[in-house]
Order: sequence, then C-alpha cells, then structure tokens
Amino acid sequence: MKNRSSALRLAAAIVLVSPLLFAWLPGLAGRPLFGLPAPYWAGLVKSFRQVSITLAVTLLITAFISVAISYFSILWWAFGKAFRSLLDVIESIPSILIALFCYAPVSVILAKNPQAASATLSLFVFIFAAVLTTLPEAVRGITLPLADLYHRKYSISFRAYGFTKAGILLILMNSRAMRDALKRSCVTILLKTLVLDCSFGFIIQIGMGSYGTPAHTSPGALIAANRDAIFQAIESGGRSPLMFWLPTALLVMASLSFLIVLSSKKEASI
Amino acid sequence: MRFVRFLLKEFVLRGILFTVFGTAALVSLYLLSIGAPAADYAAAARTFWLFISGSPEFGASQVGFSAQAIIASGAAITFPLALGALFFMTLIALTSASASVSARYLSGEHGLKLGSAVSGGLGFLGSFLSATPLFVGFWLLYGLFGMNPPMILIALMTVLVGGAGWDASRFLISDMGGQIDSTHTMVYSMLGPSVGRFFPLPGTMSGYLLHSSAPRFIPYIAGKVPAIIGGITIAEMVFSFPGLGRNLLEALLLRNDEQLIASVFVLLAVNAFVTFLVKTLLFVMYPRWYEKSI
Repeated sequence: MKNRSSALRLAAAIVLVSPLLFAWLPGLAGRPLFGLPAPYWAGLVKSFRQVSITLAVTLLITAFISVAISYFSILWWAFGKAFRSLLDVIESIPSILIALFCYAPVSVILAKNPQAASATLSLFVFIFAAVLTTLPEAVRGITLPLADLYHRKYSISFRAYGFTKAGILLILMNSRAMRDALKRSCVTILLKTLVLDCSFGFIIQIGMGSYGTPAHTSPGALIAANRDAIFQAIESGGRSPLMFWLPTALLVMASLSFLIVLSSKKEASI
Repeated sequence: MRFVRFLLKEFVLRGILFTVFGTAALVSLYLLSIGAPAADYAAAARTFWLFISGSPEFGASQVGFSAQAIIASGAAITFPLALGALFFMTLIALTSASASVSARYLSGEHGLKLGSAVSGGLGFLGSFLSATPLFVGFWLLYGLFGMNPPMILIALMTVLVGGAGWDASRFLISDMGGQIDSTHTMVYSMLGPSVGRFFPLPGTMSGYLLHSSAPRFIPYIAGKVPAIIGGITIAEMVFSFPGLGRNLLEALLLRNDEQLIASVFVLLAVNAFVTFLVKTLLFVMYPRWYEKSI
C-alpha cells in the first residue's frame, strides 16, 4: 500500500514536471499550439528551456557545495560555526534583494555587449544569486540530520571498531536517511530557484517595461509581459488570455511536482 | 543579566550592526560590480554617514525623494504589511495544524475518518495555492481592486499564495503531529479535554500540543521574516506603492546612490526590527528555549 502510494506520488511528480522536459523537444519552438502567435510560442519554449538550465546548474552547484559544507561542518566544529554565522547573515537578507543586486551590474553590461554575451553573463549572475539564496536552507537540511546521526550510538560503535571521524561521516553520508535528506534538500533548492527566477523575471519586466529582460528569459517575465491579456477582450484587439494563463499553469504544475516530493513522509530509518 | 545579553545580541548585534554592515556590504557590492572608481566609494560612505546621522544635507542635491519620505514609506507601508503578513501566516499555520492533528487523533483513537478526508482536501488546496506564483496572486488582486487593493488583502495574499503559509503549516503540523502518539499526550487526552479542532485554544488537546511546539515554532517565524519582506517588496512593485521595493528598483535603474543607500538601510532595518519583535516574544515566553537556540 505504501509502495503504491509512493509510486503514484512519483508518477504525479514526473507528469507535473514534464513541461520543463518537453521544452527540449526538437522543433517544438517552431510549431505553435493552441493558436498562439509564433513569436510568443518561441519565447515560451525558450523561457522554459532557460529556466530548466538555471534549475539544473543551480541544483548541481548548490548540492555539491552543501554536501561539502555539511560534511566539514561536522568534521571541524570551528568551520561549521563560522559558516553558520555567514549563512545566517545571507539568509537574513530577502532573496529578491540579493537577486536585484546581482542583476544590477548585468543591466549595465547589457548596454555594452552583444546580446549573446549578455545572455550568458546574465545566466551566470542569476545562478550565482540563486546559489547564494538557496545555500543556507540546503546546508541546514543536510547538516542537521547528519549531526543527529553522528551523535547517535552508531558513531560510538564505529569508533569502537577504530573508524576515524571522517570515515564515520562518509559512511553516514551514504545511509538511506542521508540520501533522503539530500533528496529533500535538492527539491527545496529547485523550488526556491524556480520561485526566485520567476519572481525576479516578473519584477524586472514590470520595472523596466518594454526593455524588460532581454538577457534573462524567464516564464515570470513572459507572464509580466502579457499580464494585461486577462483584462482585454480579444474582439477589441486584445491578446489571448492564454498568453497569461498557459505559462502560469505550467509553473503551477512544476511547483506542485516539487511540493509533492516534499510532502511525502520522512524516512527515518538508516 | 540575561536581559542585557538578549538586548546586546538581538538589538545591537543582529539589529543595529546587521543593518549598518548589511547596507555597507550590499552598496559596496553594487559599486564593485558596476566598476565604480574609488572616489565613488568615499562619496557613498559619506552619504551613508549623512543618512544615519540624520543630517539635512542628505539628499539635498536630489529631486523627487528625501530620507524622510523613504523612512516614512518603510514605516507606513512595508512595516505594517510585514506585521500583517506574519499575523496571517501564524493564523493559517495554527488553524491548519490544529485541524490536521485533531483529524489524525480522532481517526486513530476514535475511528472518525471524516476529519481526515476534509483535512486532506484542504491540504491539497493549500498545496495548489502554494504552487501558484506570488506575483500571479498579486496580479489577480489587481484585477479585482485595481492599483489600490486593501492592505489587509495584500498581507493575506503574501502568505496564502507563494508558499509561506503552506511551509509554516507544514512545519507546525509535522512538529505537533510528532507528539500526538507520545505518552504525555495520550495521558492528557484521557483527562477528557475538548480536541480543539479549529484552533489550538488553551485547555484543548491541540492547545496542549502547541504549548510544546511553540518554542520551536517562534524561531521558525523569525527565520521567515526576510521571505515575507521579499514578498511585500514584490507587492510594492506590482501595485506601484511608494514603498521601499519601488524606491529600491528605481534607485537601481537610475543608479541613484543616495536613494539606494536609504532604501537598503530602511528595508534591512524593517527586516531586523520585525525579527527582533519575534525574538522578544520567544525571550519573554520561553527564556530557556531562547538560551538554547543561541
């Protein structure tokens, strides 16, 4: 029964996250669906491709750094304490503020460089901001269960067999409980990055108007650019409300997928 | 002695020093990233000093804003919205946690399954609202009320949509739910108090569970203040409120150093002050837990 429920959750999560995967289908950008204008459709596909790159790269970098910091935080107490203070300070600053500050230099360089170079730079800067804002929670999500495991009786038994602290931590990092903690941290990173990317895109588009985010293509920016479509009648020359609702629905689906994974009960056993 | 230590740590260190150094760090980062010459750093430092010392010279050369206007926008818009959103987040978490743990208790001990089904349905609705982007929620609010929606609805939307309310509920449900099978809860429930299905009032079973969870829930709320402030910043930009978010975006776009310094400082100050209020609550109600948490 438990296995069936887990399988259903997994299936639902995969189905819901599929828009991010379908965006990579070859030729999709050139075949508009639902009667949407071709440039809009190409922008939609491009924005979902870009957000999936942002999610994947942020996940890889943040997960790697989080695992390393968590491991060394338990191994060397002073290191852990110093990093905790630093991460506390970062977490005390609203994420959107960090992203806005990281974007400020890009907006200047955008005017000086060709679009391709600006787009790459913008992506790197945004990923830097996303890593910075997701790191504190990710590190906490791994360090706390690792410390909890280490201070249980297992480590005493390991020590009795002559294992070093570093060796015990490596063994514990491979346990089922830690793999589960890492999985949760990864999903949290994905969710936070998606929210930050789209909120940031929306704000910049609203703040900069038609000069919006040429370098940072985001579904949030696309929603902002077509936000008036839901209040205009198509008959009187307005755009299709689908231009607002389609990216919104796809974002809701992706977020729901991450929430489904996060809502599953914790596996406490090792 | 404890109180002095609390004031030193939370008010001086995490309040005043965090705001001052946080502003200095963010503005320096900004100047560094735009490749500003050394003279600009000195000018920014002087401007910052003029601002925090309350000098009338601050912003004298700028048209369209003043330090007083930025502070007022923080005090009149960002601060009450942050407090309102925190209130709603706490209310949502308390209500959903008491409904969820009561349903679990009634289902497990008395075989009443209806509560579990209702709780599951509400949980799904909560997840759906949480998955909806915050700016979409604000934009729908704009559709209903135009550019001037009631502040109370903005505060509610900040936590209802976008995940803050869902996350807080999940935290409290997990914490209170973890104690429901414990011996002390079973003993307490045998004394025959009401369950407290809709709100964890004192004297009810859910109230009893909350009493144990509160020392962990209050620091959690303090940790969520930056996220709430971030959500409010988005609202201010969407509705073009003359709040800190709008000031900040304008300052970044126009490269107005004075406006930037003032906006960042006031935003971090509001952030630190709301966190200080929540920490004070923890210190007054659960001083031992506060000591433990530091």
